[in-house]
Amino acid sequence: MSSNNMSDPRRPNKVLRYKPPPSECNPALDDPTPDYMNLLGMIFSMCGLMLKLKWCAWVAVYCSFISFANSRSSEDTKQMMSSFMLSISAVVMSYLQNPQPMTPPW
Amino acid sequence: MKAFYVLCAVLLVFGSVSEAKFDDFEDEEDLVEYDDNDFAEFEDVMEDSVTESPQRVITTEDDEDETTVELEGQDENQEGDFEDADTQGDTESEPYDDEEFEGYEDKPDTSSSKNKDPITIVDVPAHLQNSWESYYLEILMVTGLLAYIMNYIIGKNKNSRLAQAWFNSHRELLESNFTLVGDDGTNKEATSTGKLNQENEHIYNLWCSGRVCCEGMLIQLRFLKRQDLLNVLARMMRPVSDQVQIKVTMNDEDMDTYVFAVGTRKALVRLQKEMQDLSEFCSDKPKSGAKYGLPDSLAILSEMGEVTEGMMDTKMVHFLTHYADKIESVHFSDQFSGPKIMQEEGQPLKLPDTKRTLLFTFNVPGSGNTYPKDMEALLPLMNMVIYSIDKAKKFRLNREGKQKADKNRARVEENFLKLTHVQRQEAAQSRREEKKRAEKERIMNEEDPEKQRRLEEAALRREQKKLEKKQMKMKQIKVKAM
Repeated sequence: MSSNNMSDPRRPNKVLRYKPPPSECNPALDDPTPDYMNLLGMIFSMCGLMLKLKWCAWVAVYCSFISFANSRSSEDTKQMMSSFMLSISAVVMSYLQNPQPMTPPW
Repeated sequence: MKAFYVLCAVLLVFGSVSEAKFDDFEDEEDLVEYDDNDFAEFEDVMEDSVTESPQRVITTEDDEDETTVELEGQDENQEGDFEDADTQGDTESEPYDDEEFEGYEDKPDTSSSKNKDPITIVDVPAHLQNSWESYYLEILMVTGLLAYIMNYIIGKNKNSRLAQAWFNSHRELLESNFTLVGDDGTNKEATSTGKLNQENEHIYNLWCSGRVCCEGMLIQLRFLKRQDLLNVLARMMRPVSDQVQIKVTMNDEDMDTYVFAVGTRKALVRLQKEMQDLSEFCSDKPKSGAKYGLPDSLAILSEMGEVTEGMMDTKMVHFLTHYADKIESVHFSDQFSGPKIMQEEGQPLKLPDTKRTLLFTFNVPGSGNTYPKDMEALLPLMNMVIYSIDKAKKFRLNREGKQKADKNRARVEENFLKLTHVQRQEAAQSRREEKKRAEKERIMNEEDPEKQRRLEEAALRREQKKLEKKQMKMKQIKVKAM
């Protein structure tokens, strides 16, 4: 339903190509969740590995999952995969060193 | 020889004595198991004590393994002993005084109870238990992860279905208005891809171009983050809607110079704070649109009254009234440059680039619980967008309005230059100082004293020239003034 019934409003000669918006300001304006979660995940997995805390390693796995779910398509999958692998390795190492089940803090 | 024989005899005697000792022990083997028990060396030759201690030994050893049965046996044995002792003669019964053994019954009990105390039933460490129940926290964690993954898949699919439903319902309208519907910028030729660009699991873009009046239209479907479980849980506390954001870039000749916005009061207050153009040109608070027949939920921000009068024609009012619940904001501006950029220096040194733009933000009905069929309800809003594009081309300010608008723009530019003037001066000053410092350093670093002197003289000459120039300028100004 075009507003101009007489003539076609389309102008094939005035076609402009799509230009993705400049990425300099956009990542900052966009949601910073995936970056924060990535960083948190790495910190927790390092804590879990060094201090042998099982709950740290589990939280790191969760962080990397959340980061993946919120990630932008332009983001590097390598970074995602590396943080994911790091958190999984933190969990595995914690259990290899100490196979006892996790004790709740309460 | 004699001494040798004596030595041998002595050795033999010692050997027999030791054998005898061992014989003694061997005799008792029937009664006692001579393991390494502590009481072996304390056992006397006296039968009584010997019989007693083995009993005690047996009982203590047995006590370690089984407590109840042996005690009874031991008691019986002891009673037997006491009976035997009593039947013997007085002389021999002396050691068997009742009083002597009064505490004796308790003793084994206490000794056995003493032995009982250290016996604690130790819990088998959890990881050696063959039960999954001890790992309940881990099972919880894994279940949580699985729930997250399930939610990710379900959320992603739902967003995808919503986007597709929107596109299917709007495709016809778009294709009748634009030559190019759907472009990701990567193809060599400008052909319609006919589908949405997926930027994210919750953001979809569509670029349309090739129409009168406008350069192009970018539609962004900003869905809720249904793929993130945390977001889903947060939304249960605070319901949020999916949004459709449309940005139409107008040709310079097809739109006059004005800044205008209409929308919910909350949205307008936020936009006025965030957007560069609205904060500069529309300094008043959002006004109620009741004068024009708009519902109370909507307010207006405008550069001047004439623009509002021109914009609020019957058809526009009709659109705004009927679909007020779905409209978040409508923003027309010739000075649009995006949100205010906060730079570290405090103020950007250059005015940001502006573009003539029409911006629309619509809320998808359902407040989060959206179904694909709800997307059809947004079709009339797209009609409003098309109508607005044509209206913006037709609407022109009269002479007064144009003058006012030009004055406003000049004022804004002047303010900007004033604010940045100080900073620009400071920047220039610092650059000059840097240059001087660099030169001085060069002079100092020169090892050759002659060269140093020459460079210093050159610098002095340059400064003198500058001073002379300034003086000349001052003289000229004075002459002109006269």
